[in-house]
Amino acid sequence: MADDVGSIPELDQKKYDADEQVKIICLGDSAVGKSKLMERFLMDEFRPQQLSTYALTLYKHTATIGNKSVAVDFWDTAGQERFQSMHPSYYHKAHACIMVFDIQRKITYKNLANWYKELREYRPEIPCCVVANKIDADLKATQRSFSFAKKQQLPFYFVSAADGTNVVKMFREMIKRAVDYKQNPSDFMDEVMEELENFDLEKKEADEDGLKAESPEVA
Amino acid sequence: MRKRIIPVRNFSKYSDFSVAAERLKNHPRHRDYLDQVPQSQLEKLHIILRDHMQGLSLEDSLASFRLDPEEDLNKLDDEELARKKGQMDTLFERNRKRTDDPDFVYDLEVEFDKPNQEKCSWDDESDDEF
Repeated sequence: MADDVGSIPELDQKKYDADEQVKIICLGDSAVGKSKLMERFLMDEFRPQQLSTYALTLYKHTATIGNKSVAVDFWDTAGQERFQSMHPSYYHKAHACIMVFDIQRKITYKNLANWYKELREYRPEIPCCVVANKIDADLKATQRSFSFAKKQQLPFYFVSAADGTNVVKMFREMIKRAVDYKQNPSDFMDEVMEELENFDLEKKEADEDGLKAESPEVA
Repeated sequence: MRKRIIPVRNFSKYSDFSVAAERLKNHPRHRDYLDQVPQSQLEKLHIILRDHMQGLSLEDSLASFRLDPEEDLNKLDDEELARKKGQMDTLFERNRKRTDDPDFVYDLEVEFDKPNQEKCSWDDESDDEF
């Protein structure tokens, strides 16, 4: 069922159902600096776990929200087209999304529309933001207005993974939004899935009580 | 000024450039000298060397690193992508602030005012999707 979608045998995505775990995905074209942003935010904590078959790099981080500690898994994905079939498992159970483009390459900005469209097919409601990276290469870019984020009503950040501008701020805000979303999901599918899981449980209990189900096709 | 010669050993035209670069960087006799040299630069040298062994001219080899801002890098394979990333890393390293820089701030926040923002030429109206 749903877990077929998110099936990466090495990874148990069920853990993201636990209250103190969130999953944040990073999307964007090849070489826009997604991994460099992760590295800048995590610093000494930076211990990537590479799953090359899935073109996926995982980073674990522990954040403190209020007085609670939250385990954050960042899913850093490859932009290369040949990994497109993996995308459904990236999106599966994600609580927030960071979309990155390179202010020096127009095509990476134009492609945001495709990334965003695909994201919304799988996760219609999760918090998302747009990140304009590499502003160190051309500070004048910060004078321009990039309308994509405004049109989609997404928060927008000018950042530089090289000099660190706004990197930590962006990640902290997104972690906060991921946690808020998880506590209060507005995604219809999430609620349906939750209902279905409860339903399974009730059915199992009924079976154990000796009330065998009337549906013999269920093996 | 001193000159140090570091030989590249066991490297053929079929070798993996990134493994070779990593081996060199971690080599017990050379690592102290290579600590400050970015991995991507060592990879680049190995790629050029391998291109040469495969009969490519230096000019063609160097051209493969050149960045075309219009090119869709999503379509490249790992090695082609590594060539472009290596080029980008040069700029990254030049602008990079390190933790041991005296003015390093982990949580660096900069507000960019937006009073007279130019409309971005990347947002042309012909685009429906935007």
